[in-house]
Amino acid sequence: MDKHYCICIGRKFCSGGRNVAAIVAEKLGVKVYDRDLLKKAAQETGFSEQFFAEADEEKTRKGLRSLFMTHMSSSNGLSNNYLSNESIFNMQSDAIRKIHETEDCVFIGRCADYVLRDSDRLLNVFIAADVNDRVARVMRHAGEDMTQSKALSLIEDIDRKRSSYYNYFTGRTWGDTAVYDICLNSTTLGYDKCADIIVSLAKEKLGI
Amino acid sequence: MAELKTPQELGTEKIGKLLIRYAIPAMIAMLASSLYNIVDRAFIGHGVGPMALSGLAVTFPLMNLSAALGSMVGVGSGTMISLKLGQKDHESAQMLLGNSVTLNILIGVLFGVFSLIFINPILTLFGATDVTIGYAREYMVIILAGNAFTHLYLGINCILRAAGHPNKAMVATIGTVLLNTLLDYLFIMVFHWGIKGAAIATVISQVLAFSWQCYQLSDRSELIHLKKGTYRLRGDLVKNMLTIGLSPCLMNAAACFVVLLINRGLLKYGSDVAIGAYSIVNSFGFLIVMMVMGFNQAMQPIAGYNYGARQFDRVLRVLYLTMFFGTIVTTLGFAITEFLPGLCIRIFTDDPELTAIAMTGMKLTFLVFPLVGSQMVTGNFFQSIGMPGKSILMSLSRQLLLLIPFLIILPRYYGINGIWYSMPASDFLSVILGVSLLIPQVRKLKKMA
Repeated sequence: MDKHYCICIGRKFCSGGRNVAAIVAEKLGVKVYDRDLLKKAAQETGFSEQFFAEADEEKTRKGLRSLFMTHMSSSNGLSNNYLSNESIFNMQSDAIRKIHETEDCVFIGRCADYVLRDSDRLLNVFIAADVNDRVARVMRHAGEDMTQSKALSLIEDIDRKRSSYYNYFTGRTWGDTAVYDICLNSTTLGYDKCADIIVSLAKEKLGI
Repeated sequence: MAELKTPQELGTEKIGKLLIRYAIPAMIAMLASSLYNIVDRAFIGHGVGPMALSGLAVTFPLMNLSAALGSMVGVGSGTMISLKLGQKDHESAQMLLGNSVTLNILIGVLFGVFSLIFINPILTLFGATDVTIGYAREYMVIILAGNAFTHLYLGINCILRAAGHPNKAMVATIGTVLLNTLLDYLFIMVFHWGIKGAAIATVISQVLAFSWQCYQLSDRSELIHLKKGTYRLRGDLVKNMLTIGLSPCLMNAAACFVVLLINRGLLKYGSDVAIGAYSIVNSFGFLIVMMVMGFNQAMQPIAGYNYGARQFDRVLRVLYLTMFFGTIVTTLGFAITEFLPGLCIRIFTDDPELTAIAMTGMKLTFLVFPLVGSQMVTGNFFQSIGMPGKSILMSLSRQLLLLIPFLIILPRYYGINGIWYSMPASDFLSVILGVSLLIPQVRKLKKMA
């Protein structure tokens, strides 16, 4: 059995995944790794954090640019410039594994559930919410000029990017119920209830 | 590359030392593939005749196209497998290997059959005439019949490298070249099979190399090996592989189009013999360019890593050093082709007419080559620091965007020499483009350093 447990939380954009993660982490007294993960990866590799940020899950490159983006370097497989999305993902994965070896924690996104798939102390959670709720959240957080339709297209755009990032690197399907131990709707349940369910399930499954 | 650790030495070790260490294996691989061209053409030129060289040259665009499709699967599967092995996801890596084999067979056979059906119109389009089409067809029919093996051999080599066996890949490459040389000699010089012999030699050496690769990959203790049940194509895997491989594929396909223009131009303003002369000049150009590519390959990880680690002074140092080496290589190439063209051409032919044309071609083609080294390094430099847009602009400018207009316009005024002029002209303009893109970038790096 692994020394430390981890709870991996996947989430649709603006579904309150981060809020739920924060409550869970507080109740269990552990740390949440969200963007901090990038910082950790940067420390491990000697690369600048900026690099990991540029290749992060919502930054998937679009269209022609993505076609030409990274794969020219490997066109004969002889060489690697360490800046391709694949190598950045691998470095980030190393950081995830390292964190998992050293502490109990909650991971948000970044395919941590796939990277740690062989762990026997992993709880894999997905958080979604009703679309109206999410639109309202986007509009609350954004400035004055955010309209309903803009918010909706932002949501669709980011979900699509997260999904293509996850599917590309893991070969699984993002948000597919079969991937997760449990999928929760934060609109119907509320953040606290979601967190309660996760914590009690974690206690049962992970032997906390 | 299977387990992609970031070697810290890239950030600390002396740049010159690193560059040489990374350059040597890359250079050997590059040298092997350019020697293959030279050997094949030398045997055909001497053993079959000057017209056979022209016949061979009209098949280049088709060969390029086939290589383009091969690189699509090769690069795609190599990248994906390397990613999966990095994640210790051996099952997926295995699936990818099996799928890539099926995909290579499928594409190889389809391309082969399609080209065989339309072989005459295709070769005519690429510049074959009544005199040369016989040779071209004789050669191509055999190559196309073995096309699936070519794709398999090249594809698995990409995978071997990605799976952390670059040495095995190199053995396959060098072995193929040696075997091909031996068989070329046997089939052309001893058995007098003509140009057919060169094609048979190529196919046999690739089939043998592929069998050796299969043997290497059948070891069950290996992380990935050929396994039953992995060959059925899976839509998501195929889609990922092909998307990744699309850009190298398009770049290679572009090369096909340029060679087509050159061949047709040489035919229109010159003769069949001129096409043969081009194949001689081209094999030297390829050799020189490949040597520079070896240094470029070595620069990639060093520049990339240090750029990522924000050690910009080291980034600049590796850039300067690679430009220096690149320039030495192209200057050397320039000197040899400019001052000893006769010697170079004698490798391929004794025919006086062909020699005369190739001589002119060689002297004109490499005129500004001393400058080209730094241009190539610059283009690759942008790639290594994560700016592929500029990198692609630079490599397309020299080989395509600037070359095509010259190839269309210059021959109208200068006849066949216009074709030869086009190459130094586009080289020169692309050097200017390279300098103007590089200077602001270097300034930026200096400011950050």
